[in-house]
Amino acid sequence: MQNLDLKSRVQHTYEKGERLVVPLVGMPGLKMIGSTIKLGQQNYRIHAEALQALIEHFAPDIVFPLMDLSVEANAIGRYTLFPIDDTATVPHVAFHLDHVDMLPKIDISADTRALGYAKVIELLRHSTDDTVFRAAYVTGPYTLAALILGAQEAAQSIILEPQGLHALTEYCNGIIKDYTQLLIEAGAQIICVLEPSASMLGPDHFLDFSGNYVKELADLCSQKGIATVYHICGNTMHLIENMVKSGVNGLSLDSPSSGMDLLKVMQQVPENVLVMGNLNPVGKIHNGSPEEVQAEVLEVLKSVDSYPNFILSTGCDLPKNTPEKNIHAFMHAGRNYRIANN
Amino acid sequence: MARNEELVNAILKGDRNNVQTIMQKAIEQKQDVVQLLDGSMIPAMREIGERFSRNEVYVPEMLIAARAMQAGLTLIEPILAQSNHKSLGKIAVGTVKGDLHDIGKNLVAIMLKGAGYEVLDLGTNCSVDKYAEAVNAGVQIVMCSALLTTTMTYMEEVVKHFKDTPEVKVVIGGAPVTQKYADSIGAHAYGRDANEAVKIVENIIGASA
Repeated sequence: MQNLDLKSRVQHTYEKGERLVVPLVGMPGLKMIGSTIKLGQQNYRIHAEALQALIEHFAPDIVFPLMDLSVEANAIGRYTLFPIDDTATVPHVAFHLDHVDMLPKIDISADTRALGYAKVIELLRHSTDDTVFRAAYVTGPYTLAALILGAQEAAQSIILEPQGLHALTEYCNGIIKDYTQLLIEAGAQIICVLEPSASMLGPDHFLDFSGNYVKELADLCSQKGIATVYHICGNTMHLIENMVKSGVNGLSLDSPSSGMDLLKVMQQVPENVLVMGNLNPVGKIHNGSPEEVQAEVLEVLKSVDSYPNFILSTGCDLPKNTPEKNIHAFMHAGRNYRIANN
Repeated sequence: MARNEELVNAILKGDRNNVQTIMQKAIEQKQDVVQLLDGSMIPAMREIGERFSRNEVYVPEMLIAARAMQAGLTLIEPILAQSNHKSLGKIAVGTVKGDLHDIGKNLVAIMLKGAGYEVLDLGTNCSVDKYAEAVNAGVQIVMCSALLTTTMTYMEEVVKHFKDTPEVKVVIGGAPVTQKYADSIGAHAYGRDANEAVKIVENIIGASA
């Protein structure tokens, strides 16, 4: 079982006095190969080339692709903007919950961009060895519903039209499940669910409109031996317990600057759930020196030193212009921390 | 000041229909709507803001309360315009360039309106020029919002633009924004949430009065 392999690897690495080190670093990879975010998100060969460059330069333990919350919405047919050097976005276009039945029944495996993201995983499967885990992103069910309906309308509908919103979220989860299958067949070993819009919800609504749907994804992945990770940007301290209830294998959490308290999270999360985090992606690693990055990494690692189920990562995707030397400093400090301290 | 508990509760619950019914009845009976605004509607929004700050309610509850408040305000705006009820100040709110997220900005806008300020809502993806136009239109405080770590950096451009016009105060906020970041770019203030944003504006306007 691959998810057990990831957990075993995390445990084994900890016992050796090391940590898995996993920067969320797709965008800087595009800079390294001299390409743009638009091309990376539309051309799978450029995308794969960027990830390959990242693997060769930094040797992360898990390689994550470009973070792109528009793939499924775009496949459904929602209007999508592709700025040349910024991530694709789905602008708000009016939609009413009465029209959920009119949303298209799509075959996501016939969508060019979704296939492209699967192709990236397939290319990495052939070009990388077993030392690197291949992760893939899917949009979270509530976030996809919010992209279709509008973020504000979705949040209001939780109280005003819960049945309609459930119908939309269920439709979204169907698309996400199909996409997840596609990515797994291509060779994804970890499915990371991006659910930023859900950080605005209270714990009960979160479970109702995100956690319970993500549980279906986690069950699907678990049956195939694939690990799942819940990634939510922002302050999710109030949601940790319900994120765990979804049955995912790991949580990927934002930085202290967003209000996250990593030690409290580690105390709250069961040992069999991995926690990834949580260096500030626009802090020292973006605008500081390598020495400052090293100090920040050491601070994070020191705070969770006694917890084997921790993976060093960044709180969110690093901006494209993050200096290479700082990413190297992040990797180096992460790799050597416990060796140096034992 | 008399407090209409039914109106307060309707706003707290986000019961827009009930707010409209109460306000319509008040208008028909020629009640003092300014008193309803100051004594019930504004305190109700303050209360929901406080609950939000204490993590007792979250964004959905805030949004429907604001929606109910807006419905009431819309009904009495023509009456307020004809009365001596003057705005406490003119504020511009907008999500910065590159960012299309507007929930936080919308919450701040409705809370400010509810607190008696005239709000110029600049929308999303606001360039420095857009904020500057608002200042030319008489705005005293520019409020910048961002949801993304990649777009919040634009706030520095806005602060730089107004650094030679100290009478214009730039206030920033949004999920990834912190006090430390506000200090680092020289923003006048940082608001943790919509409730705090109103308090900051009250302080600025109070200090300049």
